[in-house]
Amino acid sequence: MPMGPFGIDPVIWAVLRLVIAVGLAVFLVLNGALAQIFLERKIQAVMQDRIGPYHTGPFGLLQTFADAIKLIGKEDIRARLTDAPFFLAAPAIVFSPMLASFVVLPFGPDFVGANLNVGLLYLTTLGSMTVLGIVIAGWASNNKYSLMGGLRSAGQLISYEVPQILALVTVVLYVGSLSMVDITNSQPGPLVNVLILPMAFVTYLIAALAETNRNPFDLPEAESELVAGFLTEYSGMRWGVFFVAEYGEVTVVSAIMATLWFGGWHGPGVDALPILGVLWFTLKTYMFVLLFMWIRATLPRLRIDQLMGFCWKVLIPLALVNIMATAVLILAFADPRLPLAIVNWILVAALVFGLPFTQRRRLLRFRARTKEHVAMRDVRLAP
Amino acid sequence: MTVPLGAFIAVSAVLFFLGAAGVLIRRNAVVILMCVELMLNASNLALVAFSRRAGQLGAGNPLDQRGSVFVVFVFVIAAAEVAVGLAIILAAYRNRPTVNVDEIHEMKG
Amino acid sequence: MFDFLEPFFFAVFSLGIIGAGVCVVMLRRITAQALLMALTFASMAGMFLLLGAETIALFQVLIYVGAITILILFGVMFTKQDDRGYALFFQKQTPWAAAFTLVIAVPVVFLAFSFKDAITPSGKGGDLIPLAGSLFTDYAFPFEIASVLLLAALVGAIVLVKRDEQ
Repeated sequence: MPMGPFGIDPVIWAVLRLVIAVGLAVFLVLNGALAQIFLERKIQAVMQDRIGPYHTGPFGLLQTFADAIKLIGKEDIRARLTDAPFFLAAPAIVFSPMLASFVVLPFGPDFVGANLNVGLLYLTTLGSMTVLGIVIAGWASNNKYSLMGGLRSAGQLISYEVPQILALVTVVLYVGSLSMVDITNSQPGPLVNVLILPMAFVTYLIAALAETNRNPFDLPEAESELVAGFLTEYSGMRWGVFFVAEYGEVTVVSAIMATLWFGGWHGPGVDALPILGVLWFTLKTYMFVLLFMWIRATLPRLRIDQLMGFCWKVLIPLALVNIMATAVLILAFADPRLPLAIVNWILVAALVFGLPFTQRRRLLRFRARTKEHVAMRDVRLAP
Repeated sequence: MTVPLGAFIAVSAVLFFLGAAGVLIRRNAVVILMCVELMLNASNLALVAFSRRAGQLGAGNPLDQRGSVFVVFVFVIAAAEVAVGLAIILAAYRNRPTVNVDEIHEMKG
Repeated sequence: MFDFLEPFFFAVFSLGIIGAGVCVVMLRRITAQALLMALTFASMAGMFLLLGAETIALFQVLIYVGAITILILFGVMFTKQDDRGYALFFQKQTPWAAAFTLVIAVPVVFLAFSFKDAITPSGKGGDLIPLAGSLFTDYAFPFEIASVLLLAALVGAIVLVKRDEQ
């Protein structure tokens, strides 16, 4: 009779391990969502010169718990003309790929669900499955705002997947592995990938904002145009599942950025005390979560044509140039770090300083048009 | 207990002929496109299964993946086909608001 | 110990593939058909995993579920799917389809079972490195041709759908 760990029969242990892992991931996602909602409210409140939640519990800490209980306790409403099986399936289709993404995230040294050698591809694949759930939610709601929100979301997510994958390819070219663990291990020192490949990072950050439907790319649920987009007909805990899935996705893309560009769980003191790695990983991940909240409180929403134009005319060409340069430099130099860094920082500078320049031309055109309109109005108003 | 190669090939063949029957009997252009995708996917399964078998024979590289390489090309073909196919359906729909292929017969002599 | 798992998952996936495939051919609700097609593709990815081709399985989900199903749903939503009762199965091509299926498909399916070799799971490492090795050395030229084909399809689709601006 073979024995598994803790003296448990290996058959039972395999099932038990699965249950524990899934339970842990669900626990992590739900708590992360609660913490992020609280943080988001407080941080936006501070940035908008308000106090934010403070009635429930100390510093309003229990406010999100109260909201969660309220959501669960709400009546389960489904409009009669919705398409029942799809309407019920859509939240699950959005939620489950996000949950499955946690399998390959390296939380610490030897603390990872599965060290897949195609880990990054796995994450990309799961990220692309969300679109299906959103389109189905929009279709099944039988509501034109929902449908438009769903279709917009599909267009946006499919478009921004391209620069996202191109940015990942650049890092994979440099590191030479698709495994999240190998990518973490390749940057132990202070020389993390973001110093060498900042262009890929900027591309990924922008694409990730769009992929998670966060401001300034939250067009699918732009309340001033589309009520609440594909979420219009959802209420109660079904809406809550979409909400939790969105925060979970923010966590996943933040963890990807922390792992690929900021050294994952590496940090001072990890060699002596491996559990510190989890702390470093969480800190780096939440750094990006906070960055997302900062962006949300700062930037206005884009228009849909600006969104698509930015993706196809700016991000994708720059990402392609970046891949080309990276591949050539890796082949040309034995130690490609310095030339890679130079080219990448030049590209970042081109993006950062070039964008206002193109916008300036657009602004001048806009001003000229406004002047024309004013002149026409004056002619019309003349007695 | 392992699954024999024949079982994979049989599933692939069943799906292929399901898709073929769908292409022949359905009249909705979008459904026909879906059935063509099913046929392409069935061929993928056969390619991967035979590729595993060829890799096991030990002739040359034990990790021979040539069959799988063709699956990648089939993916490319499928993506190109669905994009152009839907574009054609939409262009035809603009001339004549129907997706029933029996009603689109202007080119018939 | 876990020997039963492989046939079990094979049964589940083949049921998913064939059951959803039958529904795609037979049903009349087009969105249900599109979703069931996605289920067929996902089950097919499971089959690839059983065969040890994990990279292919992930590409399958990425391309078929994430892109092609969405494109087809776009096609469904941009066209009017009329509910008029035109013949679903019984029209002039049905006898040909039946004859084709019976004469060719039945022998082929029975012949398929004649491959008795067992497929043992491959060793460690997966199929990523051998696949990439073949793709970028022996098949580099077809790979480039495939990328040109994709570009041509992209441009062609845009040209076909673009409205004349007047």
